[in-house]
Amino acid sequence: MTAAIRTERLGKRYGSTWALRDCTLEVPAGSVTALVGPNGAGKTTLLQLAIGLIRPTAGEVRVLDCAPRADAAALLPRVGFVAQDHPLHRSFSVAEMLKLGRCLNPTWDEEAARARLARLGIPLDRKVGKLSGGQQAQVALTLALAKCPELLILDEPVASLDPLARREFMNTVMEVVSETQLTVVLSSHIVADLERVCDHLVILSQARTLVAAPIDEVLAGHRLLTGPRADVTAVARFHEVIRESHTERQTSLLVHANGQVYDACWEVHEVDLEEIVLAYLGYGAPLELREAVAS
Amino acid sequence: MIWVSWREQRTETLIAVGILAVVALLLVPTGIEMARAYDHDGIAACLGAQPSFGCGDAVRSFQDRFNQISNLLGWLTLLPGIVGVLLAAPFIAQFESGAYRLDWTQSITRRRWIAGKLGLSLGVAVLISVAFIALVTWWRTPLVHLNGRMESSVFDSEGIVAVGYTLFALAVALAVGVVWRRAVAALIVAFMAYFAVRLFVDVWLRQRLTPPLSATWPARKDELAVLRHAWVISERPSDRFGNAVVLRIGDCPDGNLKACFAAHAPGYIHAVYEPASRFWAMQLVEFGLFAGIAVALIAFSAWWIDRRA
Repeated sequence: MTAAIRTERLGKRYGSTWALRDCTLEVPAGSVTALVGPNGAGKTTLLQLAIGLIRPTAGEVRVLDCAPRADAAALLPRVGFVAQDHPLHRSFSVAEMLKLGRCLNPTWDEEAARARLARLGIPLDRKVGKLSGGQQAQVALTLALAKCPELLILDEPVASLDPLARREFMNTVMEVVSETQLTVVLSSHIVADLERVCDHLVILSQARTLVAAPIDEVLAGHRLLTGPRADVTAVARFHEVIRESHTERQTSLLVHANGQVYDACWEVHEVDLEEIVLAYLGYGAPLELREAVAS
Repeated sequence: MIWVSWREQRTETLIAVGILAVVALLLVPTGIEMARAYDHDGIAACLGAQPSFGCGDAVRSFQDRFNQISNLLGWLTLLPGIVGVLLAAPFIAQFESGAYRLDWTQSITRRRWIAGKLGLSLGVAVLISVAFIALVTWWRTPLVHLNGRMESSVFDSEGIVAVGYTLFALAVALAVGVVWRRAVAALIVAFMAYFAVRLFVDVWLRQRLTPPLSATWPARKDELAVLRHAWVISERPSDRFGNAVVLRIGDCPDGNLKACFAAHAPGYIHAVYEPASRFWAMQLVEFGLFAGIAVALIAFSAWWIDRRA
C-alpha cells in the first residue's frame, strides 16, 4: 500500500512552543483517514504542513511523493484543501468563487461543480458572505473537489456547523468517496460521525501521535476490562492500559490489548470508537499513567 | 490570475479612483477659472523683463484671489499616502481573514500569486499618482509661472516625487500588514509612518540631500536673479562686516522687508537657497529615496510571505 501522506519525525515550532513534534505517520492512499485530537493538538499544523502552507521546523513530510513546498507547482493541482473555517472571499458571489477556481487551476471540472451547487440549492448569484455557514462549507468543498484532486484534505470541516449541516457535509464527502478513488484526510475534534465515514484513525494529542491505524484494528485491539477493585500491575505487564478508573468496589480499565485477554479476574467488553478516542485524549500521556500505576 | 487580482482589489481600486475623481471635481472648475483670469488680467506680460505699469496690482489681486485654494491644495500632499495605504489594504485583509489560505491552496504557486497581486496594485498606484500629478500640475500652471515650484508645498505634488510617495505608503502598509496581520492597525500605523517620514524629509532631509547654495548681496540692491523661483531656505541680514543683525518684532511694522533691512542693517543680505534649475535633480533624488525604500520593503514583504508564512 502506498502512502498519500508520509511524515518522518515531523515537527513545527512557533517560538518556544512545539505545535507538532516527532510526528511519524502514514496515511495510506485510498483511505479515508480521521485525524482526531483536542484543540491545540497539532491537527491544523500537520495538515498545513502537508499542503505547504507552512514549513516544517524539523523532520520531513511527503505528500503524493512530493515535497509540499519544493514541488508546489506539481503537487498543488493534485490536492484539494479546505482550510479551517472554510475561508472564502466574502464579497465574491458564488459564481465568482467558481471563476476564481477556474482561473487558478489547470484541472477544473466546472460542470460537476455547478451540478453539485445546484443539487445543494446554493444560488450562484448570491454573495458568499450572505450564505449560511453550512452553505459556505459546501462551496469550499465544491471548490476543492472541482480541482479533481487525488487527495482531499479537510481541516475541521464541520466544527462550526450545526448538526444538520454537519450531516449534509459528511454526506457529500461520502458520496464523492464512494464514486472515486479519492484519498481523504479530515481532522475533527468531534468523534461522532467519523466511524460512518472513515476507515483510518490518527489520534494526536499534545503535539504527538498516539494512534495511527485502521479503524477496524483500533476497534479490535481495544477492550474494556471490569472487575472487582484490584491492582492493575499484572494487566499492565501484558497490555497497554490507556485509562483506568476505580470506584470503591470496582475497577475498570480500557486497554490496548496485546492479543487476547485471558484473565478470569476481568470481564471483557468491546468498546466503541468514541470511547477509545476519549480514553486516549482524557489522559493525554498514557506513559505517565503507567508509571503512576507502577509506582 | 489577473482577473483574480483585479476582483480581489476591485473595491479599493474603485475607491482610489473615486478619491481622484473628487479631487478633479474640485480642481477642474477652479483651474479653468484661474487660467482664464491669468489670460484676462494679462499676468503673463508682467513676467517679462519689462513689467508694464500696473503689473504689481494685477499680480497681487490675482494671487489674493487664488491663494486660499492654493493653500488648501497643500492638504493634497496626504493623498499619495491615503491611496498607497488603501491599495495595500486588500492584501493585508486577506491575511487577517485567512482567505489567503484559499488562494494558496489552488494550483498557482505562491510566487506567481505574489507577483500577480503586487503587480496589479503597484500598477494601479503608479497610474493614480501620475494622474494626480498631471491634474495638480495643470491646475497650478499659472501660479508656477508666478512663484516657481520649489517651495515644499508645491514641490511635493509636481514632477515625479508623488509616485515615490504612493509606492512608499503602499510598501510600508504591506510590510507592517504581512508581519502583523491586523488590517486596520497596520493601515493606521503605515499612514502615521508615511506622515512622519514625509515631514522629516520636507523639513530636514531634502535640503541636505542636495546641499544648498548661498548668496550674498548688498541690502540696498534688489534680490539676485538666481533667487527668482528658488526655494529660499533661509535669509538673514548682516551689517557691513558680515555680523548678523537681529531684527526684533516691531522693527518692521509695515512688513516691507527690503525697506526694513535697509533701515536697520545697512550691510548685506545672505540667503541659503536651492535654485529653480535644480528642480528635476532634486525630484529624482527624492523619488529615488522613496521608491528605493519602497522596493526594499516590498522585497521584504514578498520574502516574508514566501518564507516565513
